[in-house]
Amino acid sequence: MAIVGITALVPPEIVYATGNIPIDINNFVPKSGVVPRDKLCAWTALWRDLTLMGQIKLDKLVVVAGGDCNNALVDGEKIELSGIDTHYFTYPFDGDPQVMRHEIDKLLEFLGGEVDESQFKIVTDLKNAASDIDSERTAMVVKSSDAFEIMVSGSDLAGSLSGFKDKIDSVKKEGASGDFRLALLGTPPIYEDFHGFLDSLGLHVVYDEMPYEFLRLGGKSLDEVTRSYADYTFARNITHRITLLKSELQRRSVDGIIHFHQFACHHKLEDPILREALCAEGYPFITIEADLPSVTPQQTRLRIEAFKERLGDL
Amino acid sequence: MTLYGFDVGSRAAKCFNSETGGVEIADSHDWRDILPKGQEIISTGYFRREVPNIFNLTEITAAIYGVSYLLDSEVDVILDIGGQDTKVIDTTTNEFRMNDRCSAGTGTFLEFIAGYLGLTLSEMGRLHFQAKRAASINSTCSVFAHTEAISRLVEGHSKAEVVRGVHIAFARKISQMIPPDSYTIALIGGTAKNPGVVDAFSKVLEAKIIVPENPQIVNAVGAVQYYLQKGL
Repeated sequence: MAIVGITALVPPEIVYATGNIPIDINNFVPKSGVVPRDKLCAWTALWRDLTLMGQIKLDKLVVVAGGDCNNALVDGEKIELSGIDTHYFTYPFDGDPQVMRHEIDKLLEFLGGEVDESQFKIVTDLKNAASDIDSERTAMVVKSSDAFEIMVSGSDLAGSLSGFKDKIDSVKKEGASGDFRLALLGTPPIYEDFHGFLDSLGLHVVYDEMPYEFLRLGGKSLDEVTRSYADYTFARNITHRITLLKSELQRRSVDGIIHFHQFACHHKLEDPILREALCAEGYPFITIEADLPSVTPQQTRLRIEAFKERLGDL
Repeated sequence: MTLYGFDVGSRAAKCFNSETGGVEIADSHDWRDILPKGQEIISTGYFRREVPNIFNLTEITAAIYGVSYLLDSEVDVILDIGGQDTKVIDTTTNEFRMNDRCSAGTGTFLEFIAGYLGLTLSEMGRLHFQAKRAASINSTCSVFAHTEAISRLVEGHSKAEVVRGVHIAFARKISQMIPPDSYTIALIGGTAKNPGVVDAFSKVLEAKIIVPENPQIVNAVGAVQYYLQKGL
């Protein structure tokens, strides 16, 4: 059993089914308190430095080197050069399931080859339970900050199947309130208090785009997992992604959109495309760009508060 | 009691008396010096919550209400150039954009260049119109634009030509945030008092630039107007 670091979404079903434990090393970044030595994106630079400093202890590393996070490749190589057994995983841009299967087969080989398919059902059941939390926050039963904590752990199921279940079971269902229902598109915020800040303003997040992908994708067999992850919208072309976004925005009765991206991230370049496509659907849209981890800066707070005032004036 | 609009931004504090129309301005760190005692205050700006107030709102909403109140004509866009950020508010869609991660499109950039050239901001405005041509400043980064300004001086351009070039580079940088098909633009904030900047914007954007009589106090006025119009 090896501790396998993942730099972005790597099917946790596969990691657990091969008897290993996935750890999403991004989850160490927001509270790291470390300033990276050199960087483009703070996420990749910080998980790189934290791993090289020994603050994240890994037996193996899977770098998502194509699709999703395109800055990870070199920072992953730096970790590989330090001696950690590293594999590079790529999503097919066109969603071709045969290419996806080839990538999953290579991943299986890296992780040991033997597959215990019974793990797929356990992971699926946990993801379904986490999806119920997502539904309950959309129905104003669960606070969005509490739901986000569960959903964002969906990439590695908190590194512990039993621990993730306990985490889900402990969510308080005391009801939520909010003046407006927001969608949070793009990368999850690097500001650790962002959802709590939105809650405090009466802005209830009903859709966290990427964490929803963590839970949406999965399957009870290798074939199902392959087909499902080939549909990972963050790794596909933007038109495919926008189709899912429109559907979720409507389904969740969203009042406004925050597009959150990182400085020096290729997703930043998608901002005008998303803005144009979703504003045309009538959604008010604000872009928040972040860099280093911290609590939500005053300038960002100002923007969000102004966005709320604008929503109130519509 | 009198209703006051009180706007404390990153560089300056502005106090507006809604009864007399009187205005006081101080450095933002000295905002307490111009704070009316025992009066009803509507505050806005980055430090709005530090100021004792009966209501506070963001300067983005305050700008919308201030421009609407102070200008007779409608505008497509409000451009508020502050010390540490620039806000572009599209009045047709109610959307706004802000630049706060790059100093090149903020008032601080012009202060930086003025400091290097040994000029006051008002001297920058006067020199702009003395130049027969603009020195070419192409960088959209404050530090590199500064480097370019030095190069132009070394090459023989006058201070006036460099100032004009800097104003045009400044307007070009901010114009990237302006939505297309913006024909009338209200320019507010202290930087709008620099006629060289206004001239640069009108040339770069090919749009009608409207500057309220006192562009620095628009948000303080707007804060009061929001409070009154909402019946708060």
